[in-house]
Amino acid sequence: MADPISDPIGFSLEIMTSPLFFKVAVFPGLTSIGIIIALFIWLDRKITARVQLRVGPLYASPLGGVLQSFADLIKFAFKELFIPRNADKFFFVAAPVLALIGGAGLVGLIPFTPEWQISNLELGLPAFLAFVTLSPMLILLAGWSANSKYPFIGGLRSLFQQTAYEIPLWLSAIGVVMMAGTMNLIGIVQAQSKPWVIFLGLSIPGWYIIPQALGALLFFITATAEMERIPFDLPEAEPEIIMGWQAEYPGFLFMSAAGASFVRLYAFSALFSVLYLGGWMGPAPVPALLWTAIKIIIVSSLIILLRATFPRVRIDQLLRAGWTYLLGLAFLNIVITYLLVVGPRI
Amino acid sequence: MVAPGLAEIFYYLGFIVVATLVPIIALFLIVTPRDAKPSPMKLETYEAGQMPSGRGRTRFIIQYYPYLLIFVIYDVVAMFLFAWALTLRTLQPPGSGTWPILIFMGVLLVPLAYSIHLASQRDLW
Repeated sequence: MADPISDPIGFSLEIMTSPLFFKVAVFPGLTSIGIIIALFIWLDRKITARVQLRVGPLYASPLGGVLQSFADLIKFAFKELFIPRNADKFFFVAAPVLALIGGAGLVGLIPFTPEWQISNLELGLPAFLAFVTLSPMLILLAGWSANSKYPFIGGLRSLFQQTAYEIPLWLSAIGVVMMAGTMNLIGIVQAQSKPWVIFLGLSIPGWYIIPQALGALLFFITATAEMERIPFDLPEAEPEIIMGWQAEYPGFLFMSAAGASFVRLYAFSALFSVLYLGGWMGPAPVPALLWTAIKIIIVSSLIILLRATFPRVRIDQLLRAGWTYLLGLAFLNIVITYLLVVGPRI
Repeated sequence: MVAPGLAEIFYYLGFIVVATLVPIIALFLIVTPRDAKPSPMKLETYEAGQMPSGRGRTRFIIQYYPYLLIFVIYDVVAMFLFAWALTLRTLQPPGSGTWPILIFMGVLLVPLAYSIHLASQRDLW
């Protein structure tokens, strides 16, 4: 390692060429997050369009408009950034940027394969869920700082919505911790490596989607609520409160605010595939990283299909369902998992 | 030499720092070459095409207050359940931590039921 004071150029070259720097800057870090988010936005528009018998983005490349999001990005970057007259300028700018950073922080915890992970925290799962908790606060901050009525309603809705989904989200993840006996995300994937049932020489992969079917369903629903996507996109409901907390954002800030929810879509699809679908594991000829990618694409396409097909729930329905059905089913899932792990004894 | 777990935390903090720098630099790059043309109408807040009236931060009815209160309790409960779930396989004899957690949950289900009952009475709030 070169000395940073006497040989700054050599030191920075060593940093630039280190594998950790590649992970942070390229994959699974920032550059890949940006590109994947742009592709997710395209996928979102394309799937929704197909379901609704439209065509979707078409002209921006020979391959069905894949480059449309990149074109939009350039357009957003050249929009004027203006801040409403009575807004709290610092927090108005900080909130969507922080939401984007928070989303990137989620991706930093995901093990795409054991090698391709930025930070292998011992408490990876609670760290992920704790980081997620920040986003409704940022949305409330954005709504408050804009000093406008619709964003403020959106921010408050986000706060209420958090109380509805947060507890079932944590409790459904507890089922996985009970099965695996660890909160380390790599450990959780490795705990799924043993085949679940062997019957006449047939083995089913020991992915937790089978014993944790109820937990996986609850996690899927509550994660959709966390991402604030239809049917749970109350804080930004376009027909009711005109994009809600994003209403006052211009250009680049709007892009950050809207992009943050797609970063969370990416991170949650990855977490779902890690917790329930065995992460990078799969039959041998396909490389591990490709398995992760396939699972992420399947899960995120399912979440996008919800957006294309469901109507929006009402906030009192969501709160009541969250505190009765979702919470009750989450407790039921814990009981089922207890019976699976320990057996019928107390 | 730092412990491996601590090193991972440092990697993570470093990643967050880099992730913070990138959008801030992008923001400066975008803001600086602009010629801003503010006008009074442009800087008004949006109220569905009407002229905005009154304060932006108006008072709202907090309709779902019992849910918020019980949420504060159950957020902590979830942490306790995580600790219990983590030690579930290593507890000897197996299942010895179950009665305490059942009593704990039973005690906490009473305020949950009461707050759901309160929240369903719309005219209270």
